Amino acid sequence: MKLFREVITYVVFAGLVGLLSVWPRYEIVDRKEAVISLTFSHAGQRIGECHTFTQEELNKLPPNMRKPADCPRERHPVRVLLRSADRVLHEEVLAPSGIWSDGKANIYRRIIVSAGSHVLYVGMNDSGDYGGFDYEATATIDIEPGRNVVVRFNEQLQQFSIY
Amino acid sequence: MIERLHRIGRGMFDLLRLPLSRAFASEQNPLNHLGALTVYFLWIILISGIWLLIFFRTSVSAAFDSVEYLTREQWYVGGVMRSLHRYASDAAIVTILLHVIKEFVFDRYRSVRWFNWVTGVPLIWIVFPLGISGYWLVWDELAQYVAISSAELLDRIPIFTDSMAGNFMSDDVLSDRFFTLMAFLHLIGLPIFLVFGIWLHIFRLNGPRINPPRRMMAAVMICMLVLSAVYPAVSHDAANLAMTPQVLRLDWFYLHVYPLIQIWSPGWVWVLLTGISAAMIIMPWAPAAKKMEPALVSLDFCNGCKRCVDDCPFGAVEMVPRTDGSSYTHEASVSANLCVSCGVCVGACPTATPFRTRTALVPGIDLPDRSAAAIRQSIISTAEPPSAEPRIMVFGCKDDREADRLRHAGASVITVTCMGHLPPSYLDFVLSRNHAEGILLLGCEDGNCNYRLGAEWTEQRVARERDPRLRKRTDTARIALGWQAPWSDYGDALAALEAFRATLREKLSRDESAVL
Repeated sequence: MKLFREVITYVVFAGLVGLLSVWPRYEIVDRKEAVISLTFSHAGQRIGECHTFTQEELNKLPPNMRKPADCPRERHPVRVLLRSADRVLHEEVLAPSGIWSDGKANIYRRIIVSAGSHVLYVGMNDSGDYGGFDYEATATIDIEPGRNVVVRFNEQLQQFSIY
Repeated sequence: MIERLHRIGRGMFDLLRLPLSRAFASEQNPLNHLGALTVYFLWIILISGIWLLIFFRTSVSAAFDSVEYLTREQWYVGGVMRSLHRYASDAAIVTILLHVIKEFVFDRYRSVRWFNWVTGVPLIWIVFPLGISGYWLVWDELAQYVAISSAELLDRIPIFTDSMAGNFMSDDVLSDRFFTLMAFLHLIGLPIFLVFGIWLHIFRLNGPRINPPRRMMAAVMICMLVLSAVYPAVSHDAANLAMTPQVLRLDWFYLHVYPLIQIWSPGWVWVLLTGISAAMIIMPWAPAAKKMEPALVSLDFCNGCKRCVDDCPFGAVEMVPRTDGSSYTHEASVSANLCVSCGVCVGACPTATPFRTRTALVPGIDLPDRSAAAIRQSIISTAEPPSAEPRIMVFGCKDDREADRLRHAGASVITVTCMGHLPPSYLDFVLSRNHAEGILLLGCEDGNCNYRLGAEWTEQRVARERDPRLRKRTDTARIALGWQAPWSDYGDALAALEAFRATLREKLSRDESAVL
């Protein structure tokens, strides 16, 4: 009887391990939905102009600290807007990284949308002037269920790509 | 407040231990070997992992296919090894969780035990990334989900200049170097930290048990093999970064936090994880346990025999060169920071003998809060006068309230700190000086000793296999070892007493007939 109970205990344990290793199933997106991934790393423009030293100012500096110009390290936050037709999917002002706020602003957002045709618009501002956008892109895209549409900023081409 | 939490926790733990204590003998009860079982699962993971490594290919295009080959083509070995690897990893999480809960509810994490508790927290932080990184390597849809979600989590740490999650947006961006890095972490980096962490976790313990009993090892192995054969671990579809996984069979043992990354945010998940870890780290001092006085060495009676060093469960006693000019070369020295005041060293001390009458009973090492002299005095003052019924003297651990209640069942009850605290000469003293006809040692069962090793040492001392040994003249048939789980109720203790009383009555009657 004791042995039987031991066997039952081990069977229950194995069953529990086997069950919880796969169940319950987790639904990430509905079968009629898709995902738009908005991602980029982009540095905003510097917050102020560089100051070019005059010869007189340079002479006052110790020899080891002389340099042509003094540029502020801090950068502007980056504002990004993603729309599908008139519906705003995501809007955010991204702070620059780094303890001196001089690094890139990073974003990765998963936005769940219904499958179907979408007119996507993305705009980004890195100059601190939020009246308009410095970079914009628009694309009409037919999104099938389960698709991962990527909206990213290409640093080399200095433009958005949507694919 | 904290005692109430422990009590509630013990009540909940009872839901599991009651059926298990009916199913298993004490030495085969998995609840008594949770730490050792975890190490055993790590061995299974290591050996099965070596087999998987032989066939695994670390590249974006080949990783999935190599795992599929193991699972489908080589199902009879590779598939079984993969399933063993997976299920042993899951089972390790179960034993780790129960180990943590058990140590908490039985209050074995405070006082000098803070070290074992606190060093266990980083181990959890190693085990989870180790398991999670294993899922990345399969490079199926689940791996894709885990990789992107993990990257989201890591992106929240403000030390990275670029978004890591952005690297998983298309197959073109992902490089084979990513798999090399993950393979390094999973196969070498994290396991090295894990082994070092386990060593640190147990290095303060004297004679830590890192292997469960062989029968249990065999049973667990059969259990894992049957599970692997009946329900083999399989992959999802191959990862496709152009698509998003829709429905996944998550391994909830390792990935339970991942849905929260989407439901809450990576930042709040960090708050949750670091909050739980910080709470665990400060728990030993919230509030700190009342500490008994550590064991005290009396050099006048310490002959440097080293038995206390051998028996101390926590390595709190060491031998140092003599400081009092005695002819003995060494003396015992107690580290107050490590001493849990269990008294096992007193039980090991040959000078802790109650027969000493010419001088005061001061052994070479003693507990100030429950001295050897006080125990002898308790024996003398508690002993009942002879009667028709055999008198039984019960020695119970101070943490065992049920032993104390046996007074109402006609037994003399004396408490010691731990059963290992009681020198065997005291058993001889009780019987030879006619303080009782029988002795019941009602201590915690092996593997569940509140202080470690008390039951094991006592059994060996009574069986005359370990110094200090019970004297040969002492009739061991008049001594009963009633090991109980610390959670036993009064009924268990009473049953042990009644069973011993019946046996003793029969034995004494037999002895009497033999004399006549």
